[in-house]
Amino acid sequence: MRNFYRYLLLALVAAFLLLFLVGPVYTVVEVGLDRRLLLEVFSNYIYVEGLFNSFLIAVVTTVMVFAISLPLALLYDRYEFPGKNWCNLLMMLPMILPPFVGALGFQQILGHYGVINTLLTGCGLPAIDFLGGRGRFWSVCFIEALHLYPILYLNLVTALGNIDPALNEAGRNLGASGWTRFRRITFPLMKPGIFAGGSIVLVWSFTELGTPLMFGYNRTTAVQIFNGIMELETNPVPYALVVVMLFFAAAMYLAGKFALGPGAANPAAKGTAGSSATPLAGWRRALPGAAFLVVTLAAALPHLALLFTAFSLRWYGTVLPEHFTLLHFENALSNKIVIPSIFNSLKYSFLAMLLAVAAGVLTALAAVRWKLRGSAIADLLAMLPLAVPGIVIAFGFLGMSVKYTWVAEYFNPVENPIWLLAVAYAVRRIPYVVRSVSAGLEQTPEELENAARNCGAGAWTVLRRITLPLILANVIVGALFAFSFSMLEVSDSLILAQKSQFYPITRAIYELSQILGSGPFTACAFGVWAMLFLAATLAAAGAILGRKIGSIFKL
Amino acid sequence: MTSVEIKGISKSYQPGVPVLKPIDLKIEAGELFFLLGPSGCGKSTLLRILAGLVEPDAGSITFNGREITTLPPEKRRAAMVFQNYALWPHLTVFENVAFGLRVEGADRARIRREVESALELVQLADCMNRRIPSLSGGQQQRVALARALAVNPALLLLDEPLSNLDARLRDTMRHEIRRICKERRLTALYVTHDRQEALSMADRLAVMQQGEIRQIGRPEEVYNHPECRFVAGFLGDANFLEGEITPAGKFRSHFGEFALENPSGCTPGQRITAAIRPERIRFVDTPRPGSFRARLISRTFLGESCEWKLDADGLELTVTESAAPVRVPGESFELEFQSGHLVALRG
Repeated sequence: MRNFYRYLLLALVAAFLLLFLVGPVYTVVEVGLDRRLLLEVFSNYIYVEGLFNSFLIAVVTTVMVFAISLPLALLYDRYEFPGKNWCNLLMMLPMILPPFVGALGFQQILGHYGVINTLLTGCGLPAIDFLGGRGRFWSVCFIEALHLYPILYLNLVTALGNIDPALNEAGRNLGASGWTRFRRITFPLMKPGIFAGGSIVLVWSFTELGTPLMFGYNRTTAVQIFNGIMELETNPVPYALVVVMLFFAAAMYLAGKFALGPGAANPAAKGTAGSSATPLAGWRRALPGAAFLVVTLAAALPHLALLFTAFSLRWYGTVLPEHFTLLHFENALSNKIVIPSIFNSLKYSFLAMLLAVAAGVLTALAAVRWKLRGSAIADLLAMLPLAVPGIVIAFGFLGMSVKYTWVAEYFNPVENPIWLLAVAYAVRRIPYVVRSVSAGLEQTPEELENAARNCGAGAWTVLRRITLPLILANVIVGALFAFSFSMLEVSDSLILAQKSQFYPITRAIYELSQILGSGPFTACAFGVWAMLFLAATLAAAGAILGRKIGSIFKL
Repeated sequence: MTSVEIKGISKSYQPGVPVLKPIDLKIEAGELFFLLGPSGCGKSTLLRILAGLVEPDAGSITFNGREITTLPPEKRRAAMVFQNYALWPHLTVFENVAFGLRVEGADRARIRREVESALELVQLADCMNRRIPSLSGGQQQRVALARALAVNPALLLLDEPLSNLDARLRDTMRHEIRRICKERRLTALYVTHDRQEALSMADRLAVMQQGEIRQIGRPEEVYNHPECRFVAGFLGDANFLEGEITPAGKFRSHFGEFALENPSGCTPGQRITAAIRPERIRFVDTPRPGSFRARLISRTFLGESCEWKLDADGLELTVTESAAPVRVPGESFELEFQSGHLVALRG
């Protein structure tokens, strides 16, 4: 009987995922998997170039992310140094700002009359066109890398933490040098972390819409899909573009899995013999902290630029703004789309968080604890959004609302997209909840629940009194990620929120930035509001978690 | 007090690989019963089946004649002390011990009374408000025991509860657990692979091997009269002798003829293995009936005793003595088996 209810709950989760994850993907594939349309994509130079550019952005961004994350993760794992406890918190900084909002501020730094060119010309050097030609490409990659490196960093730190220090000591004992130990022991064992983080970064940067859009780098597949939505009824090519993008994203994911060996997605290493970090002495003590600080400062550049732009009355050809003002903040708050967008985002994100937490916790319980038949399929479905680009799902929802009347009735992007956006946000946030809660369950011995049952507690009492309190930090972390990432969501927001009264924050910022004249400044001011709001959310979560704040970083 | 009867209980986790072959066992009310065996012999599986945490493939379990085989774990009142204690780190000592009573719906006064009584019994009354991670291993073990005792269980199950403790603490806790079980007149099933633990604490014990019970009996019975080579070897050091039964019902090996403790069932001419414990062989000064000569190979000083290895016409024998006199390896000595301690093994 107990299993009956468990299967019922699992069936509900599976139905939710089938309907709102597989459904949209299927809708897109059904239309887009058309020979004529696909031929058109591959025979049109513009689309092929878009694909090539997207792929190049993904590869370059991922390489950049590795270059930033790997040394930092190794420093964090190997050494004890002053300020180490703050490092992981600093690494979270980029997460409080969507990259496309950062791009808004960054234009002030990289623009023709921006900070860097002002400095270069001041030194008698020629100005560099960062935002034109190939400069745009590198700017897009740089901004995305600065936003995405925490994902890989946190995964690498977790993977390194899972490696028993005794394994390295055994290598050392047999005479292996530092490099040999890294190559032969550490690297193979951290493959699951590299795969988990690297694949997310690769797929994310391949399908990123906001940043290239903001930089006007329009020859990427995601931007081409976005621009094609307006004429969707006369030109269905975007459907085929989405199919091609989905295919490439899946191919990248599988290539990563293949390259990192069988079973790379299932980290088996658990439990460690404790830290083996070496304390540093003398001036060397300052080096790791300095490295973290440099990266943090670079990551904070978009935030700083956004802040300065928001406060500046005029900022052309100078290192710092010439005059400061609060005018843009007043303008931002008085704009009729801004205040509703804050409430909209809160509504959408809160509902998305509830849905993602419910589905994620149940999936994790079914897979890790209840071990129900079929739970592996639900688990796989729940993790699928990591490999399916947001723009694909958003586009699929749009297709569903056109195709099915019941979808058009309850999930209409024009009439009222509240449930549509909540569900779209939720579906793509479920993996974070599943991953976080599964980790909590795996780290909590099942014997603790058996002990409660042995003391006479029924299934519900065990769940309420033992399991949930023990994994509460993980549930909160999952919820926090679901909420924060929903607040920062770009693809769904730009595609599915079509009327101004339903705009969420990100769409409102985009709309403000398109207003000629003071638009970008007003958008920056609103971006600062959004940034402060998200920072406050994270701080509040930190206060709730208290000393358990560290568990946020154990993905 | 509860008596437990296990009939034909079997379990396989993989088809064709039985963890438990059909097991029959009866534990008397108020008895401290031990399941003893090497790792992987199925003893913990049997314990978890009794707790309801593992479903058996076949067979039945009754408590005081009442069938409980399909009863969920929370309804069995078979409180368990887990090997790693399974104490809830988010609850205090008091809350851990009170958990079962709260689930039962006991009122606050009773909860307080029972928890205090259980903690006093394990001598931890002053640790009531402490958090679990702040306790030592021994204290955690006692909290786990108090938690199981607080619910006044029908059956107390202990899964190698002392395996994580150091030797000195283990000795103390052996005595404590036995005292508590007897004070509370509890029926208890204790699983261990430590023969000293089983021999020193059990009222009765069962020795298990590869999912089967090899022998059941009182500790001294099983130790002194093992029925098979496995039991003889698992419960302590033993010398094994190959030979045949004489028409007079004696045991004849290649270096002599000896009286058997249990000749019944043996037929003249039958080849058997006999066993004798090292402490049941003694050095004698002069040859006498039943004695034999053996050459000393080595001597190992063990603190409270001394172990000698000797060669008796090609058979290596181990002898232990409480004293450690000087004997020179290479010399020959006269030995004899203490009467009534050479036992015929059936398998």
